[in-house]
Amino acid sequence: MRSPLRFERRLRQPKWLSLAVPAGSLLAALVLGAVVLLVTGRNPLSTYHRILERAFASQSSLSGTLISATPLAFTGLCAAVAFRMGIINIGGEGQLFGGAILASWAGIALGDQPVWIVLVAMLAAGAVGGMTVALIAGVLRARFGANEIITTLMLNYIVAIFLDYLIFNSKSYWREPKSFGFPKGKQVGPAAFWSPITIGHTAIPRGFIVAVLAGVVVSVLYRTTRFGFEVAVIADSPGTARYAGMRTTRKIIAVMALSGALAGLGGASDVGDFRHVLDAKGLQLAGYGYTGIVVAALARLNPLGTVLVAVLIGGLTNAGYALQGPDFPSGLVGALQGLILFTAVAGEVLVRYRVRRAVPAPVSAAAAGPPTPPVRAGA
Amino acid sequence: MSTADPAQAVAAGGEPTEHPGSPPAAAVRMSGIVKRFPGVVANDGVDFAAALGEVHALLGENGAGKSTLSNILTGLYRPDEGRIELDGRAVHFDSPRDALAAGIGMVHQHFRLVPTFTVAENVALADPHGIGRRQVRHLRQELAAMGAHYGLAVDPDARVWQLSVGEQQRVELLKALHRGARVLILDEPTAVLTPQEADALFVTLRAMVAEGRTVVFISHKLHEVKAVSDRVTVLRHGRTVGTVDTASCTTTDLARLMVGRDVVFRRAERAHPVDPAAAPLMRVRGVSAVNHRGQPAVRQAGFELRPGEILGVAGVAGNGQRELAEAITGMRRPTAGSIEVGGSPVRLGSVRAAHAAGIAHVPEDRLHTGLAPSLSIASNVVLTAYRRPPASRGPFLDRGYIRRHATELMSRFDVRAPGPDTPVRLLSGGNVQKVLLGREFASDPKVLVAASPTRGLDVGAIETVRRLLVQAADEGRGVLLISEDLEEILALSDRVLVLYEGRIVGDVPAADATAERLGLLMGGGAVSRDVG
Amino acid sequence: MVHSHRRARVAIAALLAGAAASTAATAAARTTPPTAPSTAGTATAGTAVGSATAYADPMTNFVPDQGAKPVDCKPKDGPLKAAWVYIGPINDGGWTQAHDVGRQEVQAALGDQVVTTYKENVPEGPQVAQVLEDLIKDGNTLIFGTSFGFQDAFIDVAAKHPNVCFDFATGYKTAANVGQFYGRGEDTDYLTGMAAGAATKAGKVGYVAPFPIPEVIRGINSYALGVQATHPGATLQVVWTNTWFDPAKERAAAESLIAAGVDVVASGQDSPASGEAAKAKGLPWTGYDSDQSANFPDIWLTATNYHWGAYETARAKAVLDGTWVPGNYYGGIADGFARLAPFGKLVSADTQAKILAKQAELSAKPGSHLTGPIKDQSGKERVPAGQQISFEDLMSMNYFVEGVIGEIPSS
Repeated sequence: MRSPLRFERRLRQPKWLSLAVPAGSLLAALVLGAVVLLVTGRNPLSTYHRILERAFASQSSLSGTLISATPLAFTGLCAAVAFRMGIINIGGEGQLFGGAILASWAGIALGDQPVWIVLVAMLAAGAVGGMTVALIAGVLRARFGANEIITTLMLNYIVAIFLDYLIFNSKSYWREPKSFGFPKGKQVGPAAFWSPITIGHTAIPRGFIVAVLAGVVVSVLYRTTRFGFEVAVIADSPGTARYAGMRTTRKIIAVMALSGALAGLGGASDVGDFRHVLDAKGLQLAGYGYTGIVVAALARLNPLGTVLVAVLIGGLTNAGYALQGPDFPSGLVGALQGLILFTAVAGEVLVRYRVRRAVPAPVSAAAAGPPTPPVRAGA
Repeated sequence: MSTADPAQAVAAGGEPTEHPGSPPAAAVRMSGIVKRFPGVVANDGVDFAAALGEVHALLGENGAGKSTLSNILTGLYRPDEGRIELDGRAVHFDSPRDALAAGIGMVHQHFRLVPTFTVAENVALADPHGIGRRQVRHLRQELAAMGAHYGLAVDPDARVWQLSVGEQQRVELLKALHRGARVLILDEPTAVLTPQEADALFVTLRAMVAEGRTVVFISHKLHEVKAVSDRVTVLRHGRTVGTVDTASCTTTDLARLMVGRDVVFRRAERAHPVDPAAAPLMRVRGVSAVNHRGQPAVRQAGFELRPGEILGVAGVAGNGQRELAEAITGMRRPTAGSIEVGGSPVRLGSVRAAHAAGIAHVPEDRLHTGLAPSLSIASNVVLTAYRRPPASRGPFLDRGYIRRHATELMSRFDVRAPGPDTPVRLLSGGNVQKVLLGREFASDPKVLVAASPTRGLDVGAIETVRRLLVQAADEGRGVLLISEDLEEILALSDRVLVLYEGRIVGDVPAADATAERLGLLMGGGAVSRDVG
Repeated sequence: MVHSHRRARVAIAALLAGAAASTAATAAARTTPPTAPSTAGTATAGTAVGSATAYADPMTNFVPDQGAKPVDCKPKDGPLKAAWVYIGPINDGGWTQAHDVGRQEVQAALGDQVVTTYKENVPEGPQVAQVLEDLIKDGNTLIFGTSFGFQDAFIDVAAKHPNVCFDFATGYKTAANVGQFYGRGEDTDYLTGMAAGAATKAGKVGYVAPFPIPEVIRGINSYALGVQATHPGATLQVVWTNTWFDPAKERAAAESLIAAGVDVVASGQDSPASGEAAKAKGLPWTGYDSDQSANFPDIWLTATNYHWGAYETARAKAVLDGTWVPGNYYGGIADGFARLAPFGKLVSADTQAKILAKQAELSAKPGSHLTGPIKDQSGKERVPAGQQISFEDLMSMNYFVEGVIGEIPSS
């Protein structure tokens, strides 16, 4: 069976496409969404107005959007940094947990120190925590060739169980001893509450500012340094990297460390900006690590684009809560969100590929199609 | 019909005691076969006929069109032109299934077996009618009988992954026999075998033809062809050079046929002759290396390379060229030996050390080892130089310098591309190679190791690349030119080394290097005498 | 993504309210308890065992905070807008669904005086505050929270909106405009245990338990005492899952219990997965928090079910009347908060009669099944003979009674 349409990789990606396609994707999403809304008896215009208003238009809703966006920006960067070198780190989840564990430790231990010291200590602890988890998989990959997809995924579960252990099954340093028997985390000290930076009526979480800075640093690192150059070569052709004498093993470890540290910063932000405790269950329910992979993919692994996409997804998430109710089932909200993401990805395909009608193969009496000749036929 | 006792034939050192003068009906006849692939004509009017009851060798260099021809005969490809007859009747294969049904079996170089299945299960899997559980017992008896008859003993209940490569090959043969194959094609069957296993295989093949089957034996190893075949068809550049009775030819004759006696070599003009008294630029001593499977691939290779010398390394693919090049350029750590450049030893197994010593490398597989295809020309021209100024300052790259440098190299080496930001994968093969050569020349190397530098290029690009290599030698650099293209070796080299099974079996000055002599050495023709 | 994970159900509220709640509960006992027996297996889903007899006014089990003043969260004009925030989907067949039934009861009871809405699948975490702000922006002035993990966000947002009333299920923090509500699941857990005790032949019952917290522990202890009431000397073996909702884990836990030799399985979880494990072996099963009699007709015994609507209706009315005050509600059998799900056909008429008699007793004297002598696993006496466990001890229970096999990790 052959499809009448074929996708061909574009040799060049015209500049205008990279602007026109996202715009076109959005338009397509809105039109498709409008059809769905009309069919289900709702007014598309007022619905869209509400999405815009509750996600971005008002200053207080922008605050909420940034809250949702912050962890996704970190896990998105975590995924982007590794994927850029072809390392499929899907352990942002466990690495974020690792960061949250160490950052909450710092927050509890240093909670009465000066605010800036605690902030820096929590960020450092978070980065180390995420890095530690990531390095387990990184070293296994670099030294023993263990598939990092499997190891990072497994580590997600392992760190999650460790989180449960800290809060539910032990009298750990992180567990609140006076919670009337309910296992929960110990709150960090008062200085470990990262107060948001308020501009007008918009509260910007400090973690978000860290995420933007991290995006800039990663962007500079990958675009302008020898390190970034090596990452690009290793990603494109490991054989060529070896030919050029690049130390692939070290680079894998370095990139995994960086990737894990970024997710770990997200864990620190979760404790410092938002929850102020090590929230074993809440962190596991949030699924930041997995959403971060989607964010990075939509941003085409561009670091600054990742931060931007995180904000868009954060807004979409918040608008989703604003939309749903007895007359607007959350299933429909999910369908709208899915449409927007789907068209974005489809648009991405159009940037890279062109659609052609397949030229019918010369038909022979035989039912079997012709075998595909190998590209490098014995010349 | 051959009535030769196969064992005796082999024992007699490859001289069949008897061969048919003019074979009667052709079991397989292929005439005027043309097969084109984009940019390449793989078979250009090939004629081939194998008789009943003979081992018919298909001899030719890499890329001569042997594999394409066998793929057509097994129904994998359909010829663009030409005619196939079996036992005098025209056939038309639309798929491998048709060819199998017509009694054509093939043993590929890479076996088509399910490793976790037993021998019997693998054979059952290949049964055209499918085999039920109950019939498997019969099958095992049949396998035991066939094994005894043809010398193909294999435990039917062994799992394939437990078998040696030679045993796996027997399973492939049993599969083909079980299906009732009357014509068996074996593609380079001895490439994976030990000499003892190869001898056993020849006995089996003789037994099969003795009962009227036809064996098509694809090889480029002259002594094997001589040992096992009744007749030989030689292909060159996609055409049939001729079919000869094996007994009437010497290995030298076959080598001449294979390489082509009518090739006119145009020696490249050289500015300076090589000074034989000059101190060697590079000295390689006793280098041994293993391939990626851990098997010995280079054995005790040693040679010297003088300034301004182009030293050709000839050999049939897979005789250790790749491993030798990698060992010299630091990509592969030799298991023994030493390398000196300019009198000082080079740390082995380090690309950076080799590079620092002045060894530049034009690898065989340019787009996978040598260039990052998705990255720009600018990025690719600093693939080795990015670590040092002026390409970088501290941890940062100097993008401005890199673009200027790339633009300059592009004009110097005539790279045709929209600009230095163009990804390399969008360039034509010749331009790709010019980017690579430009980069390696720009590093001002003492020694240039070039592996198949013109493979896949068009005539114009080939000329350019050859000119650049000659120019490098004229500038006093040493060039190690590793190629399977004898014509290229002969056109450029001042001296030729011949690699056979990882050993340097010949060191021939340009003046004495003829295609016949090299071809004989490449086919291992000298080995039986020299090494035994 | 579906978060069917549930709240933490900690009625510490009542602990803080202390003796006052006990008094209120006792007061409630004076009202008429439901006693009419039902026919086994014929009760329809959602109907409490007993009957639809009028229940006591839930506000008799409500204790206002000391010195609390009424909060004016009545809308300036138009109907009262009330909202519910759920952690799971409204059709989770358990916790959130029960809460949404409560919302619909409020809507039905108050008609056009009230407009209700809800937000489902809200994860515990930083988004909760944003969801609350959105609801307030939309004009909601009465907001119900149904998951323990929302508590801090509720307290924070409530402080910023003094003219919005918040009622929170299963937490323990109250404020000027935040109240708390929950009730006595342990009473019906005891009755459920009686059904299990009558069903076990081997004298071994297995319990799939979520978290080692007082609320769950007192339920397990009550259940174990119920088992022993109908099968003296029987044991209750406990396996922790550390999750409210994880079908795979729950099923695996039940299978491990069955492998250890239990012949009745009890669930303290939100999903009926342990029932699947029991069904595979044809073993009797008690559920939790939802009526699964229709899905497991052959193995179903009964279960504890919660009914939130009556209290919530009363609170919405209070807003409309301008009499809403913060405080603690701890419901029971008498006011219809904790009810027994319909009996399955495995529960004999004799056992049903015994259970219903005990239900009448517990309705009149809530918590009286926890009357001494009660010994813990080590044989140490925890409640002296003739004395009912104190409310404080009930709320902070951290030991297993005799006959429970299992341990409470580091509480």
